[in-house]
Amino acid sequence: MVTRTLAPVGLRFTGEIDLSNVHAVTEALRACGNSGDLHLDLDFLSFCDISGIRALVAHAERRDDKHRLMLHGLPAQIERVLDVVGWAELPGLAFCNCEVAA
Amino acid sequence: MNDHGFRHEALFYASEDEFLLGTVPFIRQGVQAGDAILVVESEEKVRLLRRELGEDASAVHFANMAQVGANPARIIPAWREFVEGHDHEGRGLRGIGEPIWAGRSADELVECQRHESLLNVAFGGGRPWRLLCPYDTEALPAYVIDEARRSHAYVSERHVELPSPQFRGIDGSAAVPDTPLRPAPREAVAITFGAEDLGNLRSFTGRYATGAGLDQTRTDDLVCAVNEIATNSVRHGGGGGTFLMWREDGNLVCEVRDRGRYDKPLADRERGHGTSTPRGLWLANQLCDLVQIRTYATGTVVRLLMKVRILTTA
Repeated sequence: MVTRTLAPVGLRFTGEIDLSNVHAVTEALRACGNSGDLHLDLDFLSFCDISGIRALVAHAERRDDKHRLMLHGLPAQIERVLDVVGWAELPGLAFCNCEVAA
Repeated sequence: MNDHGFRHEALFYASEDEFLLGTVPFIRQGVQAGDAILVVESEEKVRLLRRELGEDASAVHFANMAQVGANPARIIPAWREFVEGHDHEGRGLRGIGEPIWAGRSADELVECQRHESLLNVAFGGGRPWRLLCPYDTEALPAYVIDEARRSHAYVSERHVELPSPQFRGIDGSAAVPDTPLRPAPREAVAITFGAEDLGNLRSFTGRYATGAGLDQTRTDDLVCAVNEIATNSVRHGGGGGTFLMWREDGNLVCEVRDRGRYDKPLADRERGHGTSTPRGLWLANQLCDLVQIRTYATGTVVRLLMKVRILTTA
């Protein structure tokens, strides 16, 4: 499930992302545009497959170090996949441990 | 294949002395020529070589084959990193790698033999470098040595290096195996799946793995690998397939069968560049202890193995 967050401005993903719902993730990210930092709260995301991670990374690729995709509460499972497939080192991608309010 | 390209050579040795006579001069020649040298061997052989090489050992990189090659499909990526890492230096390159030893399980052995053939596909026709693969003829059965004659363009035995007449060539090395896998046991759980069933497959795999004693991190790894292979079936293998799971010989085994064809022999050991390449099989090899891929006229079978530590009660 995707919900909007207000402080900071962004999206919260909960539940599981896989082939069955990855289109919704891509659409939600596209709707946010590319200006300013975009914050994603992943703390309540229990599973994300490669297609879901690719959707996040592909969105980060369209950004740069001034308009970053900030990932909050990155679950260990996603961190491990990012590391194994070698996508963690993108200039438009940043990791953050601070709180996100709805 | 010729002397100007990738030279893949098996070294047959029957004692520690023969091992050293076959490897130390090979390394020393490389040191004198200023070559980049990587030796991937057991901890014991690394110690032996370091002692024998003395000061020359400082010009050599050593790695532990038990770690690098725990899953043999991770060895080609390691060699690729070595070759690409020295790409712009203009130096010669030499490697020694011993992926097959007597303690390998029957399943691992088959995948190691596949790895030896795929080295020809991965590096044949590319930049020149030499890779020497020691085989312990005392400890390994004759059929393993015979297969090494087919997977290596050159064989060195009793201090003589010769082209191997049995070498199957680069094209012959690329074929995706269609050899049968051991049948799944009757008690294996079988689940037919389609696009809507991936979540159920994940939760089933997770429960089964945890119940079998796999720790949380490795359970997550297995769930992730199963999901990607099953996703491949949904996308490329006819919309779904059959999933089987069972325990045997200290392993948890997950199998995904579908109607797709697997015809890219190196796809499971190439990380790829950018974010668009398929990564499911690569990921499975990084997360699982062994991956077996077979493709038949009727479709493709992918097996994922995870070793489960046997819990003993005191």
